[in-house]
Amino acid sequence: MVHTPCRSMSLQSDAYAHMTNPAVPKDKEHTRHLDLWLRAEAKLVRHPLNAAIILGSFNGFLLIAQCWLLANVLNDTAINHQPLSSVWGYIAGIIGLFILRAGLNFGNQRFAFEAGAQLRTELRAQLFAKIDLLGPAWSRQQRSGAVATEVVDGVEALEKYYSLYLPQIQLAVIIPAAILVFVFPFDWVSGLILAITAPLLPVFMIIIGKQTEKLNQEQWQSLARMGAHFFDMIEGLTTLKLFNAARREAQFIGRIADDYRLQTMKVLRIAFLSSMVLEFLAALSIAMVAVYVGFRLMYGDIHYLNGIFVLLLAPEFYLPLRGMGTQFHARMDALGAVEPIIDLLDTEPPAHSTGTQPLSLTAAPDLRFEAIEFSYPGLESGNTPVIHRLHLTLAANTQTALVGVSGAGKTTLSQILLGFLKPQSGEIWINDKRLSAIDPAAWQAQIAWLPQNPTLFHGTLAENIAMDPKSSGPKFSGHGDALRAAAANAHALDFIERLPQGFDTLVGERGQGLSGGEIQRIALARAFYKDAPVIILDEPSASLDPESERLITEAIDRLTTERTVLVIAHRLATIERSGQIVVLEGGQIIEQGEHDTLLARNGSYARLFRQYRSDGL
Amino acid sequence: MNTKKHRELRWLISLTRPYLGWMLAGVLLATVVIISNVALLAVSGWFITAMAISGLTGTVINYFTPAAAIRGLAISRTVGRYLERLVTHEATFKLLAGLRQWFFEHLEPLAPARLQYLQGGDLLSRIRADIDSLENAYLRIFTPTLAALSASLLMVLFLLFWSPAIALANLVGLILAGLVLPLIALRLGMHSGKAMVQARSDLRQRTSETLRGLAELTLYGNPTQRIAQIQTENTALVAPQRQQNRIDAASGALSGLISQLTGLGVVVLAIGLVQGSVLNGPELVMLAFFATASFEAVAALPVAFRAFGETQSAAQRILDLVDAEPAVTEPLTPRPAPTQFDLEFNHVSLRYPGSSQWALNHISFKLTAGQKLAVRGASGSGKTSITNLLLKFWDFETGDIRIGGCSIRELNGDTLRSLCTVVSQQVHLFNTTVAANLYLAKPDASLDELYEACRTAAILDEILALPQGFDTEVGEAATQVSGGQMRRIAIARALLKNAPIVILDEPTEGLDATTEQAVTSALEHLLIGRTALIISHRPTLLTLADQIIMMDRGKVIAVDHV
Repeated sequence: MVHTPCRSMSLQSDAYAHMTNPAVPKDKEHTRHLDLWLRAEAKLVRHPLNAAIILGSFNGFLLIAQCWLLANVLNDTAINHQPLSSVWGYIAGIIGLFILRAGLNFGNQRFAFEAGAQLRTELRAQLFAKIDLLGPAWSRQQRSGAVATEVVDGVEALEKYYSLYLPQIQLAVIIPAAILVFVFPFDWVSGLILAITAPLLPVFMIIIGKQTEKLNQEQWQSLARMGAHFFDMIEGLTTLKLFNAARREAQFIGRIADDYRLQTMKVLRIAFLSSMVLEFLAALSIAMVAVYVGFRLMYGDIHYLNGIFVLLLAPEFYLPLRGMGTQFHARMDALGAVEPIIDLLDTEPPAHSTGTQPLSLTAAPDLRFEAIEFSYPGLESGNTPVIHRLHLTLAANTQTALVGVSGAGKTTLSQILLGFLKPQSGEIWINDKRLSAIDPAAWQAQIAWLPQNPTLFHGTLAENIAMDPKSSGPKFSGHGDALRAAAANAHALDFIERLPQGFDTLVGERGQGLSGGEIQRIALARAFYKDAPVIILDEPSASLDPESERLITEAIDRLTTERTVLVIAHRLATIERSGQIVVLEGGQIIEQGEHDTLLARNGSYARLFRQYRSDGL
Repeated sequence: MNTKKHRELRWLISLTRPYLGWMLAGVLLATVVIISNVALLAVSGWFITAMAISGLTGTVINYFTPAAAIRGLAISRTVGRYLERLVTHEATFKLLAGLRQWFFEHLEPLAPARLQYLQGGDLLSRIRADIDSLENAYLRIFTPTLAALSASLLMVLFLLFWSPAIALANLVGLILAGLVLPLIALRLGMHSGKAMVQARSDLRQRTSETLRGLAELTLYGNPTQRIAQIQTENTALVAPQRQQNRIDAASGALSGLISQLTGLGVVVLAIGLVQGSVLNGPELVMLAFFATASFEAVAALPVAFRAFGETQSAAQRILDLVDAEPAVTEPLTPRPAPTQFDLEFNHVSLRYPGSSQWALNHISFKLTAGQKLAVRGASGSGKTSITNLLLKFWDFETGDIRIGGCSIRELNGDTLRSLCTVVSQQVHLFNTTVAANLYLAKPDASLDELYEACRTAAILDEILALPQGFDTEVGEAATQVSGGQMRRIAIARALLKNAPIVILDEPTEGLDATTEQAVTSALEHLLIGRTALIISHRPTLLTLADQIIMMDRGKVIAVDHV
């Protein structure tokens, strides 16, 4: 038995790396793939992107003109000692160019922003559409906090790739090239210095960038791990407090953040080095131009006008190239953030129904499971089906109770009926229609579902009950009436009206401020509001005090009359009341029938029943 | 109003104190960089003009010094810049590490009473995003501002040496581009900075709840409405960013315009001085280059002032959160832990803030050491409030709670909680190994103790059957273990803690019958020889009690001695 105990909640770096990111090879090929993906997305925003590049290039050309005018002013006044009056023409031109360039500068930045903004909007829409497609069967297994970070912060981190990096790398070629074209005729030596040093910059950038990229991706992951750990600690703060461990863990939080600092500084030392090398090359080249031009002027090799023009242009030549350091950083941030986004978008959706037929039910339907076969793909247990050749009929207006130990397949079966999972073979018949042929949304419109742990969404109680205000039945004249009736039926009206803001009370994701029983009753009100002919209940009132339980049982009774009902039951009262009891074991029905019949048979159900009763359920 | 407005600023400044050396070094290096750059261009301009005149007139000049200066300045500019970035980042990260710890330590006394209405996701987004955006304060606000100030001062002094008019013109330009423009941008950007932080947090929360509740959304929601909602929320994030971008782009363009106009103005003034023979040609060119380059000093200011809005609102949220009064005040001179563990509630009453109803109304009961009390009642009848009081998570209004004759008001919360162990319906297992979750209760537990506790809690075999035994990661929200296993791990944890008082808060709710049986028998072992409060409706658990009280709306309505 090999086992080294870990004595604190602190991050076990290896273990966490494995938890958060299933080892993705970070090779060149992979980075290229990410980069290509980002570039391919840029097609979505090519119009604003091109506009930004055109305005930026135009700005660069005007800058050359401006330097030329200024060189003339300096030549006339500093060398030729002309009076101010002789250069007014130039000065007026320069001012005009200033104003024009300020306008271009503004436009360039605005278009670049719009490119980034449009792309983020588009990408978020894609992500949410994907989440929708992946569906509840997938989302059950996700870590919601991590996905939220990807969709919000991850997408934000891509912004600069589109608003800075992409336009800037184009300008970093266009503007220096244009300047070079002008410098050569005026002073070929300076032109040569610029032309030789310029390609060195990207070369250095690539050499240093390679290394930085890997570090940067690690840094992004460690940031995510640190966030997850911090979230976990805060969620479990009460637990930590109960064990007097909160202050101990606070030390670890400091230490982890400090580790992050050391790691990040390691990255930055190199990342900054790359921009230093670039700046150094640029600064040194400008110095060289100045010194060479100076000496050539002294020897009378070139005219002063040419010399000063070149010197004015030299810093502008390197400016876009120097900026590349920053842009490169934006690219690396994007590469680090984009990976989980691509993974999410590439996730294979679970098999789902592709039916398209409409469905309208005027009364509770007969439901018939026919030879349903289901197994989860990719599970280690391999081909052992979770549901095996299951036949079952849920007659209209009756209640069927599913019983069995956990792992018997009850939840899976209900998920199949909900349309969240698609059986590998077999068919569910709704009256005389095949479920597989029906549009899943049309089918789901006919079901009210009560999960074990209902989710309350951030919003008012009213919004949580009437999640789709259009879905209420035609029985009610106004939305308010429907809402109140649903709440009253669910025994939720009393406590809602006792709240200071009534139906307008804000609640959150986990129903803070409401008790478990109250959350259950809000979920029941939701079901009443929907008024659907099919009801699926998961372990109703399993965790409540007698009073809440009584109220909820009553409400459920009301909800389930004249509907087709499937209950994953854990309580005797519910089971006994059900017209049909189905005992599941290993994905198969082993017993089926009414309570008395099954009891008389003295088989699995009878055993289960005796156990339930001895537990006082 | 003003004091409140500067609360965040004062707090931020007070936080820098331990890192002041790093901060000042950063400012110094930033100043060196700016001055080097300006000097590099100015000397270059002077040099080539002087060389040209020397070439034209045949006068000999000393070109070694300026040529060397040009190279030296190129080096000091780049190396200085590198060091400056390292130093300011180091300072920032040191501060962040301190800040996270500071925050967690300040959050701890508030849990759970003051945090219960805050959502986990929102809390996380606050801490992470807000603390991260405080980074702005040092990298993008303090350092550039102070460096701009010192560099501008030095540069204006230098210009004064040549011409007061030129110095004044340059100063005006610097003030306009560096102070007036950023202040206007700040005023305009204040609102959008706050809106962005809020919008990001809203969007995060929406995403996270969409994931948690996707099944309900699929069944009950309206897809079109939902897509519209997400788009609205995305727009709510992009709109203030766009506003901010307008401000940035405009102030960037304007500041460029001002700097260029100033440079040109200096040239015009200098031409006049050359005419009057106050300056010579090379000096004219030097001043022209100098004035234009001097604006690098204030280039970062518009961004710095914009970041100010974001930082201030982040600081405000963090301060608002931790400034909440803890629900319980600790005694000034706490007594040591009692050695007797009989438990007495004597006319204890409690009202939660903002509520006029009594959550507990004159509750009294008495347990001798080792006795067990079961508490029954509807939800909201006050059962959980009893637990909250006994753990000192809330404070009671009247009456007294005594353990071994000692009022819990005279005990430290930590001391009191070291006497109690809780097994409840909500078990939080941390996203780490099973072993680490168990050692939480007793960091110095031996392996034998660990095994013994798990064996008693009837979980040992199942843990050993996990892929990596005790080293198995439980996953976020403990997805790798089942509900029943979670409870029994919690019981093993409670056994390890070995506290004399046990609180069971509906420990078997939500379990299926078979699992419940396993958990109940594990609980029986835990209760042996300990004073206990049992909150439950389950008959099997109730049979373990010596007394049963029935509660309704904060009152005891029936007492039953078993």
